Amino acid sequence: MLIPRRTLRVGVTGLARAGKTVLLTSIAGNLLAAGAGLPTLPALAARLGGRSLRIRLAPAGADALPRFDHAAHLAALAADPPHWPARTDAVSLLAFDLDVGRATPGLPPRRLRLELLDYPGEWLLDLPMLAQDFAAWSRAALHRLEPYAEAAGFLGFVRGLPVAAPRDEVLAATGHHLYRAALRRLRDDRGLAMLQPGRFLMPAPGGAPPWLGFFPCAGSGPLAGLLRERFDRYCAEVRHSLAAPVFGGIDRLVVLADLLSALHAGAEPFADAAAALGAVAGALRWRRRLPFLPAWLPFVPGIARVAYVASKADHVAERQRGNLAALVSRLTEVPRADTAADTDTAAVAVAAVRCTEDVVWTLEGHPVSAVRGRVAGAARAGRSYPGEVPDRPPDAAFWAHPFLALPDFEPMRLPLGGRAGVPHIGVDTLLDFLVGDRL
Amino acid sequence: MSETRVVPRFALEEAPIERLEAASLPLPLPLPLVPPPAAGAGTLGLAASGAALLVLGLAVLVVGNFVAAQFDRAAWLGWLTLGIATAGFGLIAASIGGELRGLLGLRRVDHLRLALADPARARGAALAWLDTLAEGAALRPALAAAEAPEAIAALLRAGPVAALRAQSDALGRAAALQVFAAAAAVPSPALDGLLVAWRGARLVRQVAALHGLRPGTLGTLALLRRVALAAAGVVATDLALDAATRAVLSNPLLRHVAGEVAGAGVAARRMVVLARVTAAACSPLQ
Repeated sequence: MLIPRRTLRVGVTGLARAGKTVLLTSIAGNLLAAGAGLPTLPALAARLGGRSLRIRLAPAGADALPRFDHAAHLAALAADPPHWPARTDAVSLLAFDLDVGRATPGLPPRRLRLELLDYPGEWLLDLPMLAQDFAAWSRAALHRLEPYAEAAGFLGFVRGLPVAAPRDEVLAATGHHLYRAALRRLRDDRGLAMLQPGRFLMPAPGGAPPWLGFFPCAGSGPLAGLLRERFDRYCAEVRHSLAAPVFGGIDRLVVLADLLSALHAGAEPFADAAAALGAVAGALRWRRRLPFLPAWLPFVPGIARVAYVASKADHVAERQRGNLAALVSRLTEVPRADTAADTDTAAVAVAAVRCTEDVVWTLEGHPVSAVRGRVAGAARAGRSYPGEVPDRPPDAAFWAHPFLALPDFEPMRLPLGGRAGVPHIGVDTLLDFLVGDRL
Repeated sequence: MSETRVVPRFALEEAPIERLEAASLPLPLPLPLVPPPAAGAGTLGLAASGAALLVLGLAVLVVGNFVAAQFDRAAWLGWLTLGIATAGFGLIAASIGGELRGLLGLRRVDHLRLALADPARARGAALAWLDTLAEGAALRPALAAAEAPEAIAALLRAGPVAALRAQSDALGRAAALQVFAAAAAVPSPALDGLLVAWRGARLVRQVAALHGLRPGTLGTLALLRRVALAAAGVVATDLALDAATRAVLSNPLLRHVAGEVAGAGVAARRMVVLARVTAAACSPLQ
């Protein structure tokens, strides 16, 4: 008997350097190990309640999207010495076929195709632009650039433009290149996330069309008119791509953010990350399914569930991971995954690949919860107590004390070279939230 | 825990270490938090109880009659016989008491697990458990400051549970080496099996004693059953032990011998597995 296979597409995206590739690698390794009967995802096993689960990689067929190379990334993590997967700049897809046993004996298994789409985080930041016009967006973008020396050249160019600058292609191209270079430097050197438009940093496949050549400009002359037209076309293309079959059709979404590194970087970068996360959460709130429709109803367009994930949670001890989840929760105004199981948004703290173990460290006579891991390149253990993770957006008093940089710990050894799963924290909770209702 | 005054820091330890292993990945022993329903006595159990009662009861009656007869012969003879009988039955009662204590010890682990999962009782249960451990006092201040059950569990996991796991691993490695060496020396495969069974049972008792349990024969049998159930629930148990076995057999000579003695390496692996599974079965934290 031919059993229909339903598809669930999960977009995995995140702010810059949040660990998207590592999360996808961990999900792949642990799902395949769970499919082989290994207890790598306890929350999913609890959800199944003893029912069988078979998982295998779905054949690529004639798909338009390249496959996520999880085997190479797993091999890199399992190598001795291990390597973190390189940053990926291409869109890719990871697909599994799941056969989920039924509670009633005799019934055929439920068949599900789970697709994980590596959705560029930069593109996510285009969503807030859809609710703005060119003038408002320009004002906000220029305002954000003002404090940074990296953007001085571009800001000087924009401020120096005559009020009645003509619709000149050279002027538009020069401004566009300057703006694009400034965005790149702010991302790479400063680690900023709230950089728009996302496709300037992560171009879509294919050549660059003319309407991509714009930049924020406060004027109202002919050049500003040209830039406005291009901005409007850009927004229209973003809207179109959300409904396109290749990138569209996302049922669930994971938004990753490395808040611990942002806490270390200081008040300004943290505010930037918080602003980016807040803007994404605000934009997604309007792009979700209609709330009165039940979650199980198929063929309803829109994102049914969104998980906001704080990554690298193993760099703080267990008692602080709750604070980390609470911090994400406050920044995005959604409930935590462990406190609201049935909601359609959740905040989770996750370590896709665990690097540390928790220890109690006595410092200045006080026992503190710290973490211990093998420092990359040193072959020695390092103990880290980076400081207290706030459970809400930190106030001025917090920034008076340093929050230590996250040490470069090696990933734990992967059992059987990754074939028996990847040590993690919270990946099972995340997966249960994303797909548990379909199992 | 008042950590706000502590300055954040990072420190490198002196000694080089191997890559960390995920202890919880291969052994999330799925022991139930709720106590299993009380099983009724089976027919074999009833028959065994009846037989034991008959043997012991009739023995008491026979000895009683004998003591009474001895008193009839002479008072001093009666007192002497009574003393001998009392000492004999006293020893039997002590052994039965020891067995019951061993069985109750296993029950205490279940109760402790339930208490640690209950926010209202977690701290008290954790402190009570620490009292039974030699190095438990060091953790008391931290535990007194912790509020959430997760924090309490994390403290226990980072402190005594990790230490117990390390000691259990050491016992497992020692047993693995002994089994390995003995298997290489023993000429008969039948004796191999006997040796592994004996050393395995002894290892289970050693690890249980490490966790504050003193199982007698019945307690050991119950513990073995529990360990077998726990191990059966973990399909991947063996997979975790590549690294542990590598560590045991890191000596080039042992590796060479392992190549010569087929099966000895497997038996050694099983000892390391057994130590870990027993530690998990005896630990109040899963």
